[in-house]
Amino acid sequence: MPAPSSLIKPLYMPHTSSPFVLRGAAALLLALLPALAWAQATPTPNRIDGYGTPNTTAPSPPNPSNHGETEVNILTSYYSQDGNRGAVEGGIGTQQLTDLTPTIILNVPLDSVTRLSANLGMDYYSSASTDRIDQVNSSPSSSDTRIHLDLGLARQLADKRTIVGVGAGFSAEYDYLSFNVSGSWARASADGNRELSVAGQVFLDQVTVIRPVELRNTPDPTGGTTRQSYNLNIVYSQVLSQRLQVAVSTELVAQRGLLSTPFHRVYFRETGSGYGTAKTELLPRQRLKYPVGLRLNYYATDLVQLRGYYRFYNDNFGITAHTFELEAPVKVTPFFVLYPFYRYHTQTAADYFAPYLAHSVTNEYYTSDYDLADFSANKFGLGLRYSPVYGISRFKTPFKGRVAKFKALDIRYAYYRQSTGLTANLISADLSFTLP
Amino acid sequence: MTNSMTLPNLARLTLGGLLLAGGSGLSSCVSVAAYQKVYLNDEDMKLSNKRIEVYETNFQSYREGAGGANGGKVGGGCGCN
Repeated sequence: MPAPSSLIKPLYMPHTSSPFVLRGAAALLLALLPALAWAQATPTPNRIDGYGTPNTTAPSPPNPSNHGETEVNILTSYYSQDGNRGAVEGGIGTQQLTDLTPTIILNVPLDSVTRLSANLGMDYYSSASTDRIDQVNSSPSSSDTRIHLDLGLARQLADKRTIVGVGAGFSAEYDYLSFNVSGSWARASADGNRELSVAGQVFLDQVTVIRPVELRNTPDPTGGTTRQSYNLNIVYSQVLSQRLQVAVSTELVAQRGLLSTPFHRVYFRETGSGYGTAKTELLPRQRLKYPVGLRLNYYATDLVQLRGYYRFYNDNFGITAHTFELEAPVKVTPFFVLYPFYRYHTQTAADYFAPYLAHSVTNEYYTSDYDLADFSANKFGLGLRYSPVYGISRFKTPFKGRVAKFKALDIRYAYYRQSTGLTANLISADLSFTLP
Repeated sequence: MTNSMTLPNLARLTLGGLLLAGGSGLSSCVSVAAYQKVYLNDEDMKLSNKRIEVYETNFQSYREGAGGANGGKVGGGCGCN
């Protein structure tokens, strides 16, 4: 299903036909290139792409040189979920979804104090619930591919204790285009026992409005189809003893624009359940989130460590949540680690949520998306990491015959279950290579 | 669907307790020299999520309204079903 180009065009400056303007735009882009090449700064080392996962904890020690080796990570995951609370059908539809996500992460030292990083990946996903936008089982909207790229540059300053970074990236799929820029700063104390990091990110998104088939003859929603998100991530970490350290973090988020999903239906108790009586989900155009996290890591014995995390969350949609996580890495041998983990999450419903047929037509805002419902969720699973000190294997590369090292292998399985009935399985793998 | 008539109070108590514990820990922390950090430098003692956890973090940020605090549903992916 080709994208309705008229909805995306404004992002590509379609009216700048003058050569002078084009040259100016090219010069501007070239001037911005250093900044655009600056994503994935140290405080968010595990982010996969721009919309993803800002870290909730402290950055690595400020030493970006890392022995001058180029690091290559190949990550992949297979995700599968099922449930019967799909928002596309007003809270009663299928939630079947599968997602395959190969990603390559490059980390290249440019000199002894500067590192360039690049994350390139895709999602290939297939969603039964999205398929129900048209109420048929074989519409092209049932599957899609998303690509994402993020570039970043991190630099250690002359004091050897401060790292600054900038970055940029984009993500594109059929009905969604997202650009982001980021900047970060991290500074460690002289003895290395304390560290403060601050990172900011701005996302600029363009949504292609696709509404349920029976609602396409009604006027488009007012207020535009863009979304802006501003994230501020602050982390303070502290060594407490030779075996214990803590990090306190907050990730403040402000969002503006189209926060509703245009193809989510809502059915009202006054109008019954037939097609044609639904409306498309409507949520406020501003959202503020204020979470606080606390992480404690304890080296209990040479055999077992304990990694604990708690997060309190609140936002202006009326959601309050608590999340607890515990992971206990067990060193079976010095190079082989098993890590069982458990996570518990509970949240209250957004003020605007009601189940199928429970909303009134007099409601100002309404959604039957169970992501915004009150529920609890349990997740548990097992990971294993194999990282022998001299690597798993070596092989010759096409790059001047240099020998690469297959350094480590990480595999992880997680099972997730919500009290709404949603279940999910996820298996992921991380293959680490280094290139001298 | 659960929950949670007592959650606000529980939240305040839990958060207060954790911050108190963290705060008392901070005030009583000792200075650990670089050569004493053999345990703290262990791979599993890093104060960050593992890289491989990122996919879980992503789907949680979509499947939970309180997810992530990472911009919510921006950037697409499997969040629109």
